[in-house]
Amino acid sequence: MVSQFPLFVARRAVNAVVTLILMMALVFALIHVVAPTPDDLARLYTGAHLSQAQLAQVAHRLGLDQPIWIQFFNYVVNFFQGNLGTDTIYGIPEILVIERFLPITFEMVVIGSLIGVLIGVFTGAIAASNRNTPTDYGIKATYLVTWAAPPFLAAIALQLVLAYYLNLLPPTNVADLTLVAPRVVTGLPMVDSVLAQDWPYLVSYLHHLVLPALTIGLISFGSITRITRASMVDALDKDYVKLAYMKGLPKRNVVYGTAFRNAIIPIVTLIALTFAFAIGGAIVVEYIFAYHGIGYFTVDAVYNLDYPAILAITVIVGLSVIIANFIADVLYGIMDPRVRLT
Amino acid sequence: MLLDVGDLKINYGTVYGNLEAVKGLNFSVDKGESVAIVGESGCGKSTLGLAIVRLLPPNATYRGRIVLDGKDVLKLKKNEVRMIRGTDVFMIFQDPLNSLNPVKRVSAQLSEALAIKQRRAGTSLDEKAAHKEMVESLTSVRMPDPEVILQRYPHQLSGGQIQRVVIAMSLMMRPKLLIADEPTSAVDVTIQAQVIKLINELKKEYGMSVLFITHDMAVAYTVADRFLVMYAGELSESGPVNKVVKSPLHPYTMALVNSIPTKSRSEGQLNAIPGSPPNMLSPPLGCRFHPRCPRVMDICRTNDPGNTEMDERTLRCHLYG
Amino acid sequence: MRLFGRGKEGDSTQGNGGSGAAEGLKGRDAAEVPLGESSGLRFVYRFLMKDKASLVSGAVIVAFFVFSVLEGVLQQVANYVRQPSLGWAILPSNPEILDFGHSLATPTFAQFPAGILGYDYEGRSILSQILYAAPRDAVASVLVVFSAIIIGMLLGISAGYFGGWADEILMRVTDAFLAFPAILLAIALAFLLGNGYYTVLVALVVVWWPTYARFFRAQTLTLKARGYIEASKLSGIGSGRIMFRHIFPNAVDPIIAIATLDFGNVILTYSTLAFLGIGVEVGVPEWGSLTSEGLGYLPGVWWWALFPGIAIMVIVVCFSILGDRIQDLVGGRLTY
Repeated sequence: MVSQFPLFVARRAVNAVVTLILMMALVFALIHVVAPTPDDLARLYTGAHLSQAQLAQVAHRLGLDQPIWIQFFNYVVNFFQGNLGTDTIYGIPEILVIERFLPITFEMVVIGSLIGVLIGVFTGAIAASNRNTPTDYGIKATYLVTWAAPPFLAAIALQLVLAYYLNLLPPTNVADLTLVAPRVVTGLPMVDSVLAQDWPYLVSYLHHLVLPALTIGLISFGSITRITRASMVDALDKDYVKLAYMKGLPKRNVVYGTAFRNAIIPIVTLIALTFAFAIGGAIVVEYIFAYHGIGYFTVDAVYNLDYPAILAITVIVGLSVIIANFIADVLYGIMDPRVRLT
Repeated sequence: MLLDVGDLKINYGTVYGNLEAVKGLNFSVDKGESVAIVGESGCGKSTLGLAIVRLLPPNATYRGRIVLDGKDVLKLKKNEVRMIRGTDVFMIFQDPLNSLNPVKRVSAQLSEALAIKQRRAGTSLDEKAAHKEMVESLTSVRMPDPEVILQRYPHQLSGGQIQRVVIAMSLMMRPKLLIADEPTSAVDVTIQAQVIKLINELKKEYGMSVLFITHDMAVAYTVADRFLVMYAGELSESGPVNKVVKSPLHPYTMALVNSIPTKSRSEGQLNAIPGSPPNMLSPPLGCRFHPRCPRVMDICRTNDPGNTEMDERTLRCHLYG
Repeated sequence: MRLFGRGKEGDSTQGNGGSGAAEGLKGRDAAEVPLGESSGLRFVYRFLMKDKASLVSGAVIVAFFVFSVLEGVLQQVANYVRQPSLGWAILPSNPEILDFGHSLATPTFAQFPAGILGYDYEGRSILSQILYAAPRDAVASVLVVFSAIIIGMLLGISAGYFGGWADEILMRVTDAFLAFPAILLAIALAFLLGNGYYTVLVALVVVWWPTYARFFRAQTLTLKARGYIEASKLSGIGSGRIMFRHIFPNAVDPIIAIATLDFGNVILTYSTLAFLGIGVEVGVPEWGSLTSEGLGYLPGVWWWALFPGIAIMVIVVCFSILGDRIQDLVGGRLTY
């Protein structure tokens, strides 16, 4: 029996690329709905107040007066070459802005959602195996509340309690402002500070990371716990779980071995969704914690009507989600033999 | 007597109210005997099977006694219950598609069972010997290419193959009592015949007692020594297979026997039992079968029939006492 | 278990009548036991109200909508007849007042009811502002969810029914939409389409429809797999009729559970947009915008930024509890 795994991965990759192109088409279509003429487009991309003649010049130079198909083609090609336009606020290429800010958000969101997912999965399993006991009800109440709280409420509440009232953690910023950031190698602050062996910065950074990451984790925790609980309840009902008991296995093995192992398979795809949701939450979280990542920059861009920035961020975030989905699909294939074998 | 069930009452607490799944059941199974529990869907037979191995969901309450090999299962503590599972009693289930763990290979699942068995018996086998044992048990259930099957995942096996793996598992565990919960209901006729044959062999060769739960009287006839016909959580009639089938006494049993299509009655209509099973949340008063009984009397509507022993059988019917 | 309609197909999840009652309970102590008299709105009502949590939630939601309708109508009438005081006739106090005597006053029971949630910088009661903003969220949730359902239904059922290229295209397009976090896409759309209450709603509808399209498509495919659609086709019923009189009623039940949850979701997203200043008109309070106004006064003045968020949370929790209960009622699993 031949492993279909490489084929499976290939198919998923093709899927991802197609979705990526379609996603860019979507953004592209949006732009053209909003700015139908070449002059409108030029105004959009430069953000400056130029005269009609100057706009026409810019439009021609940027190729905005060409047929739509060619424009889209150029758009895609530009994207893959790393050309995402020029930021109207900073005046530098968008790609540089994104390079600067995205890794910071990335680290925070990944760590935060990882915490939320890990805790959520185990909490959901515990709730399911103790169904309808006070433990279950307590967990249900917890995930209801954390799920229903808007991202800004969670952020503000945590900030108030942990930073302002208890003085445990700093309320804002990525790191102590008096410290200099380590040399940029990857752009990821934690990695870079370890590489540069800049321990003071690392400590300050981690100190500042807790609140935003915790907030992100809290946001993700709710839906993960609920879905895990439902998935576990389903799994625990299955005949093969009863068979496992029949073999004489202790409850711990059956619940956290057999049932859990089967229940988390569908959860894997949910993790990608959670990551997407967490990025959305990051916008608000970064704003409240003055955490200078891509989310904070997005809010700035909205206030300053920085069209190229919003468009670039949209496409980049879309790309991240597509990649996350791809990884989740592959993981699913690894974990479920039904998917990868004939 | 290997299994002695007395005065068993099982209730489920649901959001809709209290459901009396099993009401006052009494029966027994001897060593080496095979008893079939026959009844329609919802009559409580699966609940009975699950109760014997204490696998009922948490909203179930039970009263009475289930004595297996001298121990009252209902009074055991959790880890004591675990000890009787596998080596004293083993249960196989209905739908082959869900019977095996989808993410583990067959060899892993069989060796899990084997390891437990070894640990309880105080012996141990090394890998090679264990492997040999697994191959042997697969061979005994007439599985072609056992080596290949061992390396496979459950989704790569057919329904019949999965059933045979599960039966091989029971072989390895060598329980005193095997409970088979509708093992033939979800497979086609040829597999049915194989499964029945295998279970009969298990009984003969290893002296295993079998409790065979089914809704199909014809299948039950080929497997069992004794019948226990259940309706709506209560016993209707129990007795030796030949007697019950050739001369059924309880109206329900009669209707069941009559509803089996046979060659000699190839013309005419199928004899179904009119009406439908009762709502277990508010079952009929008196004898629960009375709304559908062709020979219902006034007393049936109000009084519970008690147990009557006659002609080697136990009956619950006002017609006889 | 059928909620609405005399659906042409039989009960979709369980067996019939009382049979299977005990077997069907194997692991689920929740609502999978079919009952004797098991249909009809009266049963639905009884079931929903039996659980205390959903009873309270239901009451809160009803109060929320009733109040929102009343207040919303009053606000519109006030606008129309240019009599602004009508807009706060049923509120504890005037939400647009400038009363520096009460500026940043802490929450207190002394000034019941206007003062129980405190005051902002201009001396406005936080409670009054929260209540004043309520209709906009209620309307947003209803309009967005219903529009998304209609669009999703039309596209999803068609795609599932016709299959082939139409189906492929729908799947890829919804994939593209779903590749974005809801908030980000809503921001981008609202940003591009311009700032206003209705453009924000349009943006939200665009964000929401793919989920429903996928759901209806999945339902259609399930029905297809049961041969039910084939049978209808063979009896000569035209495509349009099949889709709307046969497929739709069968797909509707689980939608009610999803929709209830989504009312809450939309309010969450809408208020987050308001927090970022999107869709907010000058001077008109929004739950999200109230929070962002109050941000600058933290930590000393905590009530301004905290209470609007708590109001959102309470409403969303209630939708969530109710939605869960409805899902118990409808039974079966929701697959996308």
